[in-house]
Amino acid sequence: MPYDSYLHIFLPDELNQENTEQTLTEGKQGVERNHEIQGDPSRLQSVSEKNSNGICTDNFNLSNSGSNPLPTENSTLPSPENSSSSFFPLTSMTPLMPVTPVSESSGIVPQLQNIVSTVNLACKLDLKKIALHAKNAEYNPKRFAAVIMRIREPRTTALIFSSGKMVCTGAKSEELSRLAARKFARVVQKLGFPARFLDFKIQNMVGSCDVRFPIRLESLVLTHQQFSSYEPELFPGLIYRMVKPRIVLLIFVSGKVVLTGAKERSEIYEAFENIYPILKSFKKA
Amino acid sequence: MNNTAASPMSTVATSSSGRATGKSTSFTLELQSMMFSLGDARRPLHETAVLVEDIVHTQLINLLQQAAEVSQLRGARVISAEDLLFLMRKDKKKLKRLLKYMFFRDYKSKIVKGIEEDDLLEDKFSNSSNVNKRQKIAQDFLHSIDQTGELLAMFEDDEIDDVKQERMERAERQTRMMDTAQYAEFCESRQLSFSKKASKFRDWLDCSSMEIKPNVIAMEILAYLAYETVAQLVDLALLVRQDMAPKAGDPFSHAISATFIQYHASSESTAACGIEAQSDAIQPSHIREAIRRYGHKIGPVSPFTSAYRRNGMTFLAC
Repeated sequence: MPYDSYLHIFLPDELNQENTEQTLTEGKQGVERNHEIQGDPSRLQSVSEKNSNGICTDNFNLSNSGSNPLPTENSTLPSPENSSSSFFPLTSMTPLMPVTPVSESSGIVPQLQNIVSTVNLACKLDLKKIALHAKNAEYNPKRFAAVIMRIREPRTTALIFSSGKMVCTGAKSEELSRLAARKFARVVQKLGFPARFLDFKIQNMVGSCDVRFPIRLESLVLTHQQFSSYEPELFPGLIYRMVKPRIVLLIFVSGKVVLTGAKERSEIYEAFENIYPILKSFKKA
Repeated sequence: MNNTAASPMSTVATSSSGRATGKSTSFTLELQSMMFSLGDARRPLHETAVLVEDIVHTQLINLLQQAAEVSQLRGARVISAEDLLFLMRKDKKKLKRLLKYMFFRDYKSKIVKGIEEDDLLEDKFSNSSNVNKRQKIAQDFLHSIDQTGELLAMFEDDEIDDVKQERMERAERQTRMMDTAQYAEFCESRQLSFSKKASKFRDWLDCSSMEIKPNVIAMEILAYLAYETVAQLVDLALLVRQDMAPKAGDPFSHAISATFIQYHASSESTAACGIEAQSDAIQPSHIREAIRRYGHKIGPVSPFTSAYRRNGMTFLAC
């Protein structure tokens, strides 16, 4: 999937802005600044040293104009365990993860389906102006006090509020969510607002997978009463509230499992590894 | 309800109107499926379903009228959740079950909303104060009528609901023996409810003649109460049937309580008796006997009160 890394240059991050503005004294913004400095160069760096640490799993397709100073290169193969989204974040803030987070027990890796993130553009926005001039923007102030904007790549939706706060949903990985959020911010910026990119935070991650055997939910709800609720008249799945990690799992008779409530990818994997032996013991013969 | 070829209901003779009424909407088929999921045989009897439908309908109409009276008392224009909660205030266990249902509904919408992107937007559109709205309504109302503090204590109370527990155990026993196809059928039956067929339910209830009508949440609660009534009827009918089953060679069989028998039937070697009882469908006579016993209030002063004077209907659901 196309990865427009030119954004790092053209979208002013905190570093560039500081040269033109007053010195920022707020500690919070200082932290954000550090994050940005660390984030971008390491990302650019890892593009070139993709093979050295052996942890390159992204499919970069830098199809952009000639003005891009970055070397255009394609990365190597996708990760061995699956061909769909396994877009591991390459910033130095996140710990390096093993390429295949598969333990011996299950052999199944949950796929991320949706990431919800928020970011603060830190400036007041004129929603009407945005709706009028931006493509793919909806604004119906009588119904809801935000602009709904969509982009195709990554396929995501943003809710943009007049306060400058923005919610971004629909991405299939953390990196894509961040990328999408930056694109939305870029759109707002192009319309003349001094948009920044503060406090980007993943609020929720949803994953799903299939254990491929039917599960007897009646016995599961009986033996794990403190954690499960099963009301088939209301919802066909059993709702399992795992304590550690704090994840909610929706378990269906067919064997499909949906995991939600995670702030980090590892929580989803850990939750699934925890539930898998339990599900196996309630396999419908 | 979808009549797939695998559904046990497809072989049962159907008539769109129950024998007691000339209504155009009838829940007989759905009721048969529901009774199966609640512990009845794989093909519950049509007559039993018709009787159950009649009972549930009558009880709901009476309940609605009482709720309308309560509503009028407080000068409201619609029947709302508060009126129904007020009617249920006497039975703490059932009230607690209803509250748990309402909270679960809130919780489920919260979770599902987080998963589906479109749902998230829809929710933002409607009103973000929708989160936990049922819980808020229930808590506010109970707070206002609670004089002794015992209703509010229910929220903290973590006691196990015995009836719910028994139903779960029964379901577990029922599904243990099933193969994958039967289990899939069973799960489908379990998913049936009156709330899924909201518009049909509304027609069936036929509130058009009433001055005060129920609002959306009140309808939700009524659908839940209808389902609870069916569940109660099946619970009681199974007990009655257990009672009626003759145990050969046991001189004290008439004195042993039904729950004791039911508990031991699954593990004892009198398995023959148990299997016979299980495979038979619930008969209308079981239902009638269950109602009779339930309505027959046995209390400390009952020998001295007239059995014929009873104020109003005895509701199964509250």
